[in-house]
Amino acid sequence: MTVVTLDPTTGFGSGEAFPLAIRPDTLAGQTLGIVANGLGDSESMFDAIAAALSGTDGLAGICKVVKHSVAVPPQPEQWQELLAHATVAVTGFGGCGSCSTRSMRDALDLEAAGIPAVCIVHSALEPAVRAMARLVGADNYPVIVIDYPHNPTAVWTAEESAMLANQVLDAVRLRLTR
Amino acid sequence: MTFASDTHSFDSFEDALEGQFELGVTDGLPVIPPTPERVAAMLVAGGVAGDTVLGEVPTRDVVVTAEKVAINAVMAGCLPEYFPVVLAAVRAFLQPLGNAHSTTATLAGAAHAVIVNGPIRHDIGVHGGQACFGPGFRPNATIGRALRLVIRNVCRTVPGVLDRASFSWPLRYSFCFAEDEEATAWTPLHVKLGYEREQSVVTVQSIMRLFQVTEFAPESEEILTTAYEIARHMGLQRDEWAGDGRSVVLVIGPEHYRRLVADGWTKESIAEWLYPRLVAETAGKFDQKVTLASPANIWIVTAGGPGIAQSWWFIPHLATPTHEAVLLN
Repeated sequence: MTVVTLDPTTGFGSGEAFPLAIRPDTLAGQTLGIVANGLGDSESMFDAIAAALSGTDGLAGICKVVKHSVAVPPQPEQWQELLAHATVAVTGFGGCGSCSTRSMRDALDLEAAGIPAVCIVHSALEPAVRAMARLVGADNYPVIVIDYPHNPTAVWTAEESAMLANQVLDAVRLRLTR
Repeated sequence: MTFASDTHSFDSFEDALEGQFELGVTDGLPVIPPTPERVAAMLVAGGVAGDTVLGEVPTRDVVVTAEKVAINAVMAGCLPEYFPVVLAAVRAFLQPLGNAHSTTATLAGAAHAVIVNGPIRHDIGVHGGQACFGPGFRPNATIGRALRLVIRNVCRTVPGVLDRASFSWPLRYSFCFAEDEEATAWTPLHVKLGYEREQSVVTVQSIMRLFQVTEFAPESEEILTTAYEIARHMGLQRDEWAGDGRSVVLVIGPEHYRRLVADGWTKESIAEWLYPRLVAETAGKFDQKVTLASPANIWIVTAGGPGIAQSWWFIPHLATPTHEAVLLN
C-alpha cells in the first residue's frame, strides 16, 4: 500500500544567483554606512573602524545607524538615511543567533539596494549567517570573521574593541572594493 | 482538494513514519504522516483555503500558508477540531511585534507559551487545571507542538541552521495551556484584552526566562513580595523596538489565588502593587529593574492545580505578547 505524505517545509534557498552590488576601486570619497545592532560593546569597534578608514582611506563621511533591537531590520527612517547617504557599508556584530542572521540579512538587503556591504560576525555564528546567505542564493557571500578568544556576544574591553577594529580593517577594505 | 506542497511516497505506514525522520522534519519524536486526506480534514475544520496567508517572517523570506500549518498540525497529532486554535496561535506568533525571527533564532533559546481563553477550552478540552503545563492532555500537547513544528519546518528554524539556541529547552517541544477561568472570580485575560467573554482567544508570549514563585506564607503581601523579588532576580532591560507593549505574564496558581482573593486582591490591584516594585531602580546583581511601561504590562492568568503554593513568571524575549481571536466556522 503506497502512502503519500505532503511536505511540511517551505524549502531552503532561492535557486537564483544573488547579484552583488558593484564595488568601487577604492574607499576614497565613499561614505561608509554602519548598521550596528548594539550587541555588547561592538559599537565601539565599528566607531574605531570608521575612524581608522577615514584617516587612511579618505572616506568622505560616515552614516551610522544603531538599530532599535539586536535582531530587527533598521527602522524605515534609518533605512532611508542609509540609502540616501551610504555608498558602502558594514553590518553587525553577528555574535548571537538572531542578531547575526539579521545583520547578514541587513548586508544582503544593502547589496540588493546597490550598496556594497560586508557583515562582521563571530566564528560561533558563521554557520548561521551562511544559512542566511544560502536562503537568498548568496551561498558564497564573504563575511569577516572574528574568532575566539574574543567573546561572541561582544562583551569586550575598550582595548579589545580597538584591537579587533584594527584586525579587520584590511578585510573590510578588501570586501568593499573591487 | 489540491495542494501546493511537494509529496513523498512510501511503501507502508511504517515507512512513512520513519520517512519523516529521514526527511528531517520532526522534533525528534515520531509524527503522524501528513497524508492529503488528513491535511484536507484539518483545513475543512479550520474553514480556510490552503493558500490563505497567515503571516510572514520577512527576515527569512517566509510566507506561512494555512496548508503548511495544516500539514504540521497533522504531524503534531492534532485532531481537526483543534485546528482553529492552531491557526490563531500561528497568526498571533507571526504578528510583527511577536518578533518571530529573533525569538526563534536566539542563542537564548526562547520558547513560546500558547494561552487559550474562552469557550473553545471546553469544546476541545484544553486543560488549565492540575498539571496543565505538563504532559497528559492531547489538546495542550499537540496544539503547542503544532506551533513548534511550524516554527521548525515552515519558518526554517532547524537546530544548527537558523535555530542557534546554545542549550534550547524542553518548552520548545510544546507549551500550551488554558486559563482556568471558572476557578476564579477574576476577569479572564482575553476580556482584559478587550474581547467578549464568549469569544475564544489565543495569546502567545515569548519566554526568555521561566521563574517559579513558591511562597507558603499565608499573607498575601508576602506572596506578592516573593513574586516581585524573584522577577527582579535577573530583571528586564528595555528594548526600544519592542517598546511599551513588552509585557510579563504572571500565572497565579490556586493556592496563591485563594489567599489573594480572600484579602480582596484583583488582577488590577495586584498589577498596580507590583508595578512600582518591579520597576524600582536596580539595586544589585540579583535585584534588577524589570523595565515595563505601566501596570497594564503585567498580564495575569490563573491556572494550575491545588496543593503547592506556587505561581509562575513568563519573562519575555525581545517581543510583545500577541493575541488573536479563534475564528470558527
